[in-house]
Amino acid sequence: MRDLAFFGLAACLLAAALAVVTAKSLFRAAFALSAALVATAGFYLLLSAPLLAAVQILLYTGGVLTLVVFALVVAGANTEGAVWRKPAPAAFMSLAVFAVLAASARALPETAPVRGLESGKDVGLLLFSDYLVPFELLSVLLLGAVFGALLLARKDRPE
Amino acid sequence: MLDALLVLAGPLAAFALLSVLPPLRRSGKPAAALSIAGIGVSLLAAMALFARIRTAGAPSILEIVWAPMTTGPSITFGLLADGISASMAVLVAFVALLVQVYSLAYMSDELPPAFGRYYTYHSLFAFAMLGLVLAHNLLQTYVFWELVGLGSYLLIGFWFERPAAGRAALKAFWTTRLGDVGFAIGIVILWSSAGTFTFTELFAKADSGVLTGTALTLGVAGIYLGAMGKSAQFPFHIWLPDAMEGPTPVSALIHAATMVAAGVYLMVRIAPLLAHTAQVATVVFAIGVLTAFLAASMALVENDIKRILAFSTVSQLGFMMAACGAGSASAAYFHLVTHAFFKALLFLAAGSLIHAVHTNDIFKMGRLARVMPITSACFAAGALALSGVFPTAGFFSKDEVLAAVLAGGHPIGFAILVVTAGTTAFYIGRAFFVAMMGPNTAPGHPHEPPAAMKTPLLVLAVLAVVAGAAARLIPGLFATSIAPHATAEEHAPFIVPLLGTTAALVGLGLAFAGYQKRAFDPANVRRAMGPLVTALERRWYVDDVFEFGYRFAYLKISHAVGWVDRYIVDGLVNAVTWATWVFAGRLTAMQSGRVQGALYATAFGLVVLVWLAWAR
Amino acid sequence: MTLAHLLGVAAAVFAIGLFGVLARRHAIGVLLSIELMFNAVNLAIVSFAWSRGLLAGVVLVLFGIAITVAEIAVGLALVLLASRVAKSVILDDLSELKG
Repeated sequence: MRDLAFFGLAACLLAAALAVVTAKSLFRAAFALSAALVATAGFYLLLSAPLLAAVQILLYTGGVLTLVVFALVVAGANTEGAVWRKPAPAAFMSLAVFAVLAASARALPETAPVRGLESGKDVGLLLFSDYLVPFELLSVLLLGAVFGALLLARKDRPE
Repeated sequence: MLDALLVLAGPLAAFALLSVLPPLRRSGKPAAALSIAGIGVSLLAAMALFARIRTAGAPSILEIVWAPMTTGPSITFGLLADGISASMAVLVAFVALLVQVYSLAYMSDELPPAFGRYYTYHSLFAFAMLGLVLAHNLLQTYVFWELVGLGSYLLIGFWFERPAAGRAALKAFWTTRLGDVGFAIGIVILWSSAGTFTFTELFAKADSGVLTGTALTLGVAGIYLGAMGKSAQFPFHIWLPDAMEGPTPVSALIHAATMVAAGVYLMVRIAPLLAHTAQVATVVFAIGVLTAFLAASMALVENDIKRILAFSTVSQLGFMMAACGAGSASAAYFHLVTHAFFKALLFLAAGSLIHAVHTNDIFKMGRLARVMPITSACFAAGALALSGVFPTAGFFSKDEVLAAVLAGGHPIGFAILVVTAGTTAFYIGRAFFVAMMGPNTAPGHPHEPPAAMKTPLLVLAVLAVVAGAAARLIPGLFATSIAPHATAEEHAPFIVPLLGTTAALVGLGLAFAGYQKRAFDPANVRRAMGPLVTALERRWYVDDVFEFGYRFAYLKISHAVGWVDRYIVDGLVNAVTWATWVFAGRLTAMQSGRVQGALYATAFGLVVLVWLAWAR
Repeated sequence: MTLAHLLGVAAAVFAIGLFGVLARRHAIGVLLSIELMFNAVNLAIVSFAWSRGLLAGVVLVLFGIAITVAEIAVGLALVLLASRVAKSVILDDLSELKG
């Protein structure tokens, strides 16, 4: 049963990933990315990390993709001309990376998976104990990102 | 050996000063004065040297080790003063002095810078020739030999604005260079077999049998090749007639008395070696006889007075070489000395004539004896000496040559040389009668030359007449005083002077009859012998053979070599350049500034690292 | 479903994303491909966490997602700026160096 879900999700994820990379219209690419993100959320669920799945869908799919779509509307969503530039060396490099990563994955020692990975409560506790400082710093980072984005994108820039 | 060093130092100092100080050189007359002073010092020193050697009765050697070697013989610089080199030094310095004085008047039309340049070259040439004469080893001889060739090139091509002069100078240089290749090879062969360059050591080794066989034969043959080039033996004689493009005093010095004599001098020098190589001696003799005859024949059809004299020089050089080949170096040397006197005389007299009428063509001259009696008398003296009429110097020396040839057992060569002697008398008589006698006076107002030109003429005329008798009366005056291979022909069989004088008189008589008395018309004879005359005018087609060889062999090879150089050698270099450009172009693409380029590199690094860490 | 399988899928998505980054001409297309790569990495980390029982992995991914969001925001702002200034978002047009 798990394996069936795994293969199904894997197929979706891979198909969506391919679509992201090959679509000529970027709207199509953005939607394909959202599909890939949802599939990944499915994976998280499969791996007993429901909080993560929820965060994935909320932030990524809901937030990021919306941003992307807005940017596409402003900047233009069609790639004039070819979709790719010199695909052959890129494909070669990707294949090389995949091969090497897959080969190293095989070399890993296999351990029995632990069931019951997490609950939201446990994660929250960790966040506010061991990982408090990174948590606060993250808020600073987000503040900086907001300012940066605002500064960069505002209309009337004094030259 | 101070006197020997002074002999060389005079002209060398003059040359050095003149070449290093352009203002001095360009001043004209002062440059000439310096050069004449240099050669004057040389002459005095040479006479002192000669006197010393004669009284001492033994050679004097100065040797300085120049490049000491721990294994093998060292390279030495040395001066060898014996009877032959001392007397030759006097001869060279004497004739050079006369020619330089003569040039004061002859070249007076030149602008001062050119005048100074002329005398600079003269000093260089004198230094080189004297160095050649006094050299005590073959290597040094070769060095000065080449310097003499350079001096000759510079002097022949003195009027370099004339293309013909430049070509003649080059032709002289190349032809002699061809012989010099053989010379160098000969020196090396002798050195590799005998281990030395020095004359005295080589003679000793040859006499003792250490130096023998093929090595000796090939070595002497190589040296003879060099002598062939310089002394215009057939077929290397082609440069001498063309060398008449140079000023006439130059022709007198170089192409009568000194440079061309250097080849004969060299053969006389190595006579002890030649005595051991009968094959080479035979070749020397045969080519000498051939040269003598062919050159005399070519002189018959020449109208340019200088060319007549040039062919005459070639012919007389043939006589000298024949004497060397027949085994009598002393006869050859005696003839060299007397020839120097009367040939220089003839050239300088011809120079006077040319200076007066501004043409070289004897048929444009005529009856000049009337207006230029002294010059004509001098020319006549020289002509008689050349023909070998008693009691001129030429009579005695030619007699010795003929006697040596006969005694050496060459009857056919002897006969040919007698005929050649007759031909010689004919062509020089022809020149005399056409230019200086005859019914019609030359146009213009020819007159006697100034004193600077007349004095050398008179001095040489006196010598041309008395030098021969003096040599007989004062024993050993022109003796070679080297190895006793000189056949002592004090009392030659009477047949020799008889035939010699007969031939001379027949030749002169025919010339007189044809050109003065008009007993027969030489033009008819010329027409009758049409093809032969054509061959003579084309100089027996030797020049054509050389030209053919040059065009079809040498030029083609040069083109091929050039092609290889341009396309293969250069091609390799260009290919490297091209490859570098292409490679650089490719590399430039890596620095495109686009992020993806860097990302490729990063991904590549990732692949390598992961592979190294995990996937092996 | 083993760790190796999961990692294989993650590696595949990573490689596909890498291809997109290297080959795509549109700037936002490149950004989307970068997202894919991030996603694949997150999946890999969670797989490890699930396999070894480490909760810290989940926390790490949480932080990662947050940072990625910030980065995307700034990146999109840059793309908008580029489209306004250079009138194009095709990367070829934005490259001014030769070669």
